[in-house]
Amino acid sequence: MSEYLIRKAKPSDIPFLADVVIASEKAMSDRLSFTTLFNKPEEEVKQLIIQMFEEEVDGCELSLSSFIVTEFEGQPISGSGAWIEGFNGNMPSGILKSNLISYTFGKESIEYLKTKSHIVKDVMIDREPMTLQLEYFHIKNEHLGKGLDDLLMKRIEENALAEYPELKKVQCQIFKNSVFSIKILLRHGFRIVGSYKSDNDDIFDYLPFNVKLLMEKEF
Amino acid sequence: MDRALITEKLTTIFRSVFNDQAIVLRDDLTANDVANWDSLSHMLMIGEAEKEFSVKFKLKELGKLEDVKSLIDLLEQKIQSK
Repeated sequence: MSEYLIRKAKPSDIPFLADVVIASEKAMSDRLSFTTLFNKPEEEVKQLIIQMFEEEVDGCELSLSSFIVTEFEGQPISGSGAWIEGFNGNMPSGILKSNLISYTFGKESIEYLKTKSHIVKDVMIDREPMTLQLEYFHIKNEHLGKGLDDLLMKRIEENALAEYPELKKVQCQIFKNSVFSIKILLRHGFRIVGSYKSDNDDIFDYLPFNVKLLMEKEF
Repeated sequence: MDRALITEKLTTIFRSVFNDQAIVLRDDLTANDVANWDSLSHMLMIGEAEKEFSVKFKLKELGKLEDVKSLIDLLEQKIQSK
């Protein structure tokens, strides 16, 4: 275990973090919303995610400052994103992310999204202000089952509480088909507090699943 | 284009994107005041505004938009500088 180095993400991690975002977004499926909803190939999406990270907008799931990275033998092997929603007067993270996407993806992609947005509306969940939001938690397969998730979860919570000691809870939005991630969250004391379902069958062409869960843990 | 016309065109965009014909734009209106103003519809609203007014927002400009007044101010400024 001691060979793992957990640290804040730095600019040189950005290409790895783009892979983390893509792997996490797919959530045990081959559906990547950045490609399906914006009509872009995955390789281009990766470059656009890199560009969004490079903008260094704080306070959302595409902020470099939201991430911690684990190194093993000098290589990044896990990336985890978490931020306190609306902290330090930040805008809602959804708006920050939307601004990044609007700016980076371009007009044609937003026009395409316009024709598809009704399909995914029902699984959009508002984020609660001043709660810790956990998004993107990815560990390379060969390092799973070694207790790294415990270390990461502890570090994420410690970092957040150091920044904002009055923090009351941590929340995570997760597709219901992410069974392994849900198991990990349950083991860490999270419980399911909400379930958001779309009855539009087309959703399976755009997102990993038609049910999204809201899970949370109180401190 | 004067401020009144910008507001009128923006009202049409808001009513369509946020699917609420009763929306009346006021300076201090924010995402918290409009039921359907979420991350998806925000993207669509920005896209529609850029198209309608033939402008392109910079990321820094988007990051400073706190309410409808700041959006109208920005549009007015960008239209004038074209």
